[in-house]
Amino acid sequence: MGKLKFAILSFAHIHAWSYASVLKDLEKENEVEFVAVYDDDPERLKKAAEAYGVKQYSDYIRLLEVEKPDAVIVTSENAKHISQVLAACEKGIHVLCEKPIATTLKDADEMIRAVEKSGVKFQTAFVMRYHEVTVETKRIIDEGSIGEIVAITSTNHGKYPGLWFGDPDLAGGGAIMDHTVHNADLMRWYTKDEAKEVYAIYKKNIRDYLKVEDNALITIRFKKGVVASIDCSWSRPDSWPIWGDVYLGIFGTEGYIVVDAFRSFIILAPDKGAMTSRYFGTNPDYEMIKDFIRVIKEDDTPRATVYDGRQALEIALAAYKSLEKKAPVELPL
Amino acid sequence: MKRGVGLGKVKVVVHGLGFIALNHHLPSLKRMDDVEISGVVSRNIEHAKKVARDYGARPYSSLEEAIEKEKPDIVVICTETFRHKGDALTSIEYGVNIFLEKPITLRLKDADDIINTAKKKGVKLMVGHVLRFWPEYVATKDMVDKGEIGNPVVARAYRYVSFPPWSFKRWHKDLEKSGGVFVDLSIHDVDFLRWVLGEVEEVFARGATVYEDTTAPVYMHALLKFKNGAIAYVDGSWLIPPTHPFYTYLEIAGTRGLLVVDNLTTAGLRVYLKDEVRCWTPVPRDGYYLELRSFINSVKKDLEPAITGEEARKSLEVTLAALKSFKENRPVKLPLEEEVI
Repeated sequence: MGKLKFAILSFAHIHAWSYASVLKDLEKENEVEFVAVYDDDPERLKKAAEAYGVKQYSDYIRLLEVEKPDAVIVTSENAKHISQVLAACEKGIHVLCEKPIATTLKDADEMIRAVEKSGVKFQTAFVMRYHEVTVETKRIIDEGSIGEIVAITSTNHGKYPGLWFGDPDLAGGGAIMDHTVHNADLMRWYTKDEAKEVYAIYKKNIRDYLKVEDNALITIRFKKGVVASIDCSWSRPDSWPIWGDVYLGIFGTEGYIVVDAFRSFIILAPDKGAMTSRYFGTNPDYEMIKDFIRVIKEDDTPRATVYDGRQALEIALAAYKSLEKKAPVELPL
Repeated sequence: MKRGVGLGKVKVVVHGLGFIALNHHLPSLKRMDDVEISGVVSRNIEHAKKVARDYGARPYSSLEEAIEKEKPDIVVICTETFRHKGDALTSIEYGVNIFLEKPITLRLKDADDIINTAKKKGVKLMVGHVLRFWPEYVATKDMVDKGEIGNPVVARAYRYVSFPPWSFKRWHKDLEKSGGVFVDLSIHDVDFLRWVLGEVEEVFARGATVYEDTTAPVYMHALLKFKNGAIAYVDGSWLIPPTHPFYTYLEIAGTRGLLVVDNLTTAGLRVYLKDEVRCWTPVPRDGYYLELRSFINSVKKDLEPAITGEEARKSLEVTLAALKSFKENRPVKLPLEEEVI
């Protein structure tokens, strides 16, 4: 198999720009050919096409038919993933799909069926499975150095991302939908177990102008007994020097691990205004896309499958259900 | 009962010569010019004798005997939690003011007994919720009160210490004796958050006991809903190895800003020993010194103590609600209608 032809479906999600840069890097390594972009926002489409020197389409079906890419990266608004994923599957095109893969379990299950039927590779963009820090953590846990995992306390804090992330129809929710799934996925990956029960509380809101929730505290019990928590709040103000964090404190019977994946940054304090920062850790986006290519070429199973995407989504949805019921919620939903 | 001991030295008996007394209360008291450590009490008289020599005090193996002989103004009670009730009531019956280590007791009824008896006898009582005197927590409270983060919305607090090696095997592992990590350790954060955010309405908690011979949770986290609508996550663990220093973290996000502080990145001093790491910010008067100083002043000047028994009881109640939630796996509303331990 030679160079894989890639297209990006929508630049609605901010991660698309980073993925596009990775594709350009991989082009230099003769791994891929980044051929086209689709977007339903004409201005964004033009901007992306010009930035990367690729063809532009305002109709993704047409893009798939004309360009016949080997793989697409789906980075549209959460609620729009489903139609694009189904179209790609139907044409036998491999998919790297942004998280959360969908906003409902119905959509996620439909994706699973389409992936199984078509036999395409579907990788969920759980980029945290590709960060050096979290990968090393997986190795340390699997070799038994901290004994059995007892508890995991975690945060995926951020600023309010703006754009459509505050639109419940497009995003499927607020901070819970946006910021629960990475940590939920890492917990499933580390414990090799599934969530059994979820409870959540929140207070609307840090930003009173938002329609969606911008904070929540979630606690999870896994089937084999591990207790875990996720703070998914967009509780970082705009002046915060970094975008947020992925933090996990993992308590084992024989040891304790602190994962602070994006703590590796340099603070820059300008003479006036807010402090900023420069991150100097590894770029997990690069590792993730490179592995997606390997999975396609070697006909392997992705590190994070469509099923993993669904299971993490279910935890986020269980948190919403718990808020509604004001009680712990049993999984599966 | 003596009121306003005036200009003479305040006579103090320290009862329970474990970690907190040896490392904090006794050294703090020794630095106070107007305090005389007249007696020290331990069930182990040899231990009491050794400590007495270090502090120029007289050793006792019985609290009653110490009080009868020394006639102290104050007893500082730092025995194991399950002995608090008996020790506090003994002191109160003799009309002696008490500084009682946290948690006040393990049962609400016992806390009420102490509070009511102290009132009846006109004895002053203060419970050692030391964060109310701890520099970064005092500063945090001040910033929140001044509106620097707007209205508080969501808070997080961690408190991790490796198994209390000096006593864990003896009593911390026993639910009936210590209440577990949340009642014993996280009560600090619960009390602090109550001080800043007001009363708690509902608690949901998860935890783990981990070891076969342990009935007390050694790890627990709780989600707290406050009456003013704010929410908080409180995380307590004895499950860190001794190679990890004592760790505390606190953040409060409000409508106008975020406040974050932890004890490690702000530590003015880090000391690495063979099997222990200590990180802290030395100050001339730390929280332990200031809380005792505050209580001694309130005894000398006949003022209301800074942390009353009622306050301590409320913080206890929240931690017990967490324990109940952990046991019953459901959200628990306050006030509690029955004992948990």
